[in-house]
Amino acid sequence: MPILLPEKKHEKLILENGKRLDGRDLDEIRPFKCEIGVLSNTDGSAYVEHGGNKIFAGVYGPREVHPKHLGLPDRGVLKVYYRMATFSVHERASPAPNRRALEISKIIEDAITPTLFLELYPDSAIEVYVMVIAASGGTRCASTTAVSLALADAGIPMKTLVAGLAAGKANGKIILDCSDEEDKAGEADIPCVIQMKDEKICLLQFDGDMTPEELDTAISLVKKGAKQIFQKMTEAIHQKFENIQKETELEIEKMIQQQDIDSINNIESTIENETEMKNEYDNIDINKKDFDFNNIDNKKNKLEEFDEEEEDFEQ
Amino acid sequence: MMGISNIVSTIERKYIYKLLKKGKRIDGRELFDIREISIKTNIIPKAEGSADIELGKTRVICGIKYDIGSPFSDSPDEGVATCMAEFVPFASPMFEGGPPTIDSIELARIIDRGIRHGNCIDYKKLCIKKEKYCYILFIDIYIMNYYGNLIDASGVAAIAALISAVIPSAKLTLDETNIEWDGKFMPIPINELPIQITFGKIDDIVFIDPSLPEELIQDGRISFAITESNKISSIQKSGPALWEQDEIIKLSRIAIQKANDLRKKLNLRQYIPKL
Amino acid sequence: MVESNGAQTREIVYPGQVISTDPEKIPGRGTIKENGKILSIFIGIKEEYGKYLNVVPLRGQIYTATVGDKIIGKIIERTPVKWILDINSNVEAILKPSDVMEKEKIETKSKRLSKREEETEIMKLFNVGDVLIVKVISGDRLSTPLLTTIGEGLGKLNDGIVLQIEVPKIPRIIGKQGSMINILKKYTNCKIFVAKNGRIWVRGKTFEYEQLLIEAIYKIEKESHTFKLTDRIEYYLKEEKKKRGLK
Repeated sequence: MPILLPEKKHEKLILENGKRLDGRDLDEIRPFKCEIGVLSNTDGSAYVEHGGNKIFAGVYGPREVHPKHLGLPDRGVLKVYYRMATFSVHERASPAPNRRALEISKIIEDAITPTLFLELYPDSAIEVYVMVIAASGGTRCASTTAVSLALADAGIPMKTLVAGLAAGKANGKIILDCSDEEDKAGEADIPCVIQMKDEKICLLQFDGDMTPEELDTAISLVKKGAKQIFQKMTEAIHQKFENIQKETELEIEKMIQQQDIDSINNIESTIENETEMKNEYDNIDINKKDFDFNNIDNKKNKLEEFDEEEEDFEQ
Repeated sequence: MMGISNIVSTIERKYIYKLLKKGKRIDGRELFDIREISIKTNIIPKAEGSADIELGKTRVICGIKYDIGSPFSDSPDEGVATCMAEFVPFASPMFEGGPPTIDSIELARIIDRGIRHGNCIDYKKLCIKKEKYCYILFIDIYIMNYYGNLIDASGVAAIAALISAVIPSAKLTLDETNIEWDGKFMPIPINELPIQITFGKIDDIVFIDPSLPEELIQDGRISFAITESNKISSIQKSGPALWEQDEIIKLSRIAIQKANDLRKKLNLRQYIPKL
Repeated sequence: MVESNGAQTREIVYPGQVISTDPEKIPGRGTIKENGKILSIFIGIKEEYGKYLNVVPLRGQIYTATVGDKIIGKIIERTPVKWILDINSNVEAILKPSDVMEKEKIETKSKRLSKREEETEIMKLFNVGDVLIVKVISGDRLSTPLLTTIGEGLGKLNDGIVLQIEVPKIPRIIGKQGSMINILKKYTNCKIFVAKNGRIWVRGKTFEYEQLLIEAIYKIEKESHTFKLTDRIEYYLKEEKKKRGLK
């Protein structure tokens, strides 16, 4: 039986004052926020809120493909699994993936693959799981954005981040970032995701009624909106590490106050000296220099005493 | 501590066991300390009710949806509530995607029983017209991060989502052939709030609220659902461990005490919607 | 670099970000050159070393097997003729019985056993779940790494606990000329072995000391991109010892 309150249907999506139902201008995007590193058991993860969308993405990999024959001998395989929670939509959805979810999984894979260096990981797989816990128009674009962030969070080398949103047409006018109602009742829905570094399009679908000129306008609008989203993404990335840095600055102040000054004076701390992080990443296809810029003294590291392999481990 | 997989290293097993023998846990807790719980409700706009629970690093999101259907023939004047649990693959590298596994089915059924026999939902108030129309509630549990003890975390998520939920209230149409919205909203009719308390066991050492490393090596577990009136409303013994009778009775008493402490601490009734 | 309150902040970059258009600069690790521009491929910290521009990743990566590295592996599978280990990489590694013990040791132990019987005997030594300190003898990102326990400081671990942190943060745990690891050892009185694949073995006199050390290690991992970390860890250990009543 249909549930008691059907979803509202709107005839007029653009009001008298030229604003949209939620008060936005035609080219205004919905609020966007994101966070990386939110799921501690994954290799990388991200959470995105875009309008009413709430989306988690978690990454495993690169890791061995099981069964082996599903892997490729010359490059890694990217698999995306897009799912929606039963309670993410107005009428409870089935927990099992439907054809739409499977299609979206594939187009996200096709969008993200060009941003990765899959040739680095033959016989391996990178698996991304997307869970939409609240949906509200443009979920596939926000999901692609989340996947991109989650992969970067996993430390997987990437050529660029991506961001996207859906453009549309409402009451004859081209609009940016369709809301739920605009998605359903509008005259066109154009999900589009672009690469941050060169604005090339990596995801594009279209449903509706438009001339090529209108489409051109719509895509330009998407690029404008995506730039604003990129801004938020980079802010979130900076903030994550700068917050930690700020906390440590407080700690340093406390330390100075507590008169633990002798240790501070003794140890040099210029930037070059502090950065000793040796990058284990290594690939012949990418420009790299064998730059041994640190002197990790491994002798200090020797295990003093432990049990030889001949011994039993019974106590 | 070294990656997560079904294969726990021999030294980790030894380490955890040695600590347990001294009455300590790998995360510093005592044998009968429960991890910190945090609750957020009303986080999913399109769900009638929702809660996001963290029990230590275990994270569970529960959403409540409803539908209108007909009562079961053996309970013609009662509404229906059903539980489902989804182990999202990003919650743990040990979770594979695909159809529900036996573990997710067991979890859903445990939570379901704790609610069903715990005088929780007032099913009669969910009936709109006897034998014809009633509410069907869907309690959908999504495991977002698995770090041990999904049962207790899911239990709190389910009752927090239920108690904070708002559903449109229904009435019969004038000609009594159908149901329609009467313009108002109501909370889900709840009597008591059951709390799940789970114990793990390794050899003969028992501890409460197992965290992931403990759960991976434990021989078994036992969960009690405790009602507000200090009664046991359901028990589930899982895993191949064996238990003595007086052990179980002793644990049930501890469970009652712990459930009460937890109830006071969480004060779930603060989430009742103000309509 | 931006200066604020005398403290400096490191520049955090993201994948695809242009970090230089200077034609004199040479793209180092963590970067690629495209159309005359140098781009970062990680979320990380930009570093300049003369003409080289590097990006050091801030987020976890898996380990890439490098010949000669001492690493900690966990046996996850065994066949009658070899063990398969998880080494925190995108590929699993193999240990063969012929790489377990030195020839001389085998000869003294065995009493004219055939090669196959020898192999069977050696296969009894390790089981699934055992944690070993091994050395990588061959392999890389593309092929299955082979391991050995022949050599000083290699073998099965019987005690203690192993943690795993993000691989790029490992050098931080050791510090310049061992400065950090020495502070960790000094204040917690624990044995520590830091492996190249992001794993750290720890064994202390008491659980409380081990806990403190484990917390300090996670703190270093989290704050690896910040300044005066070594001093702050020393301070942290001193303060925590006081708070927890440890001597």
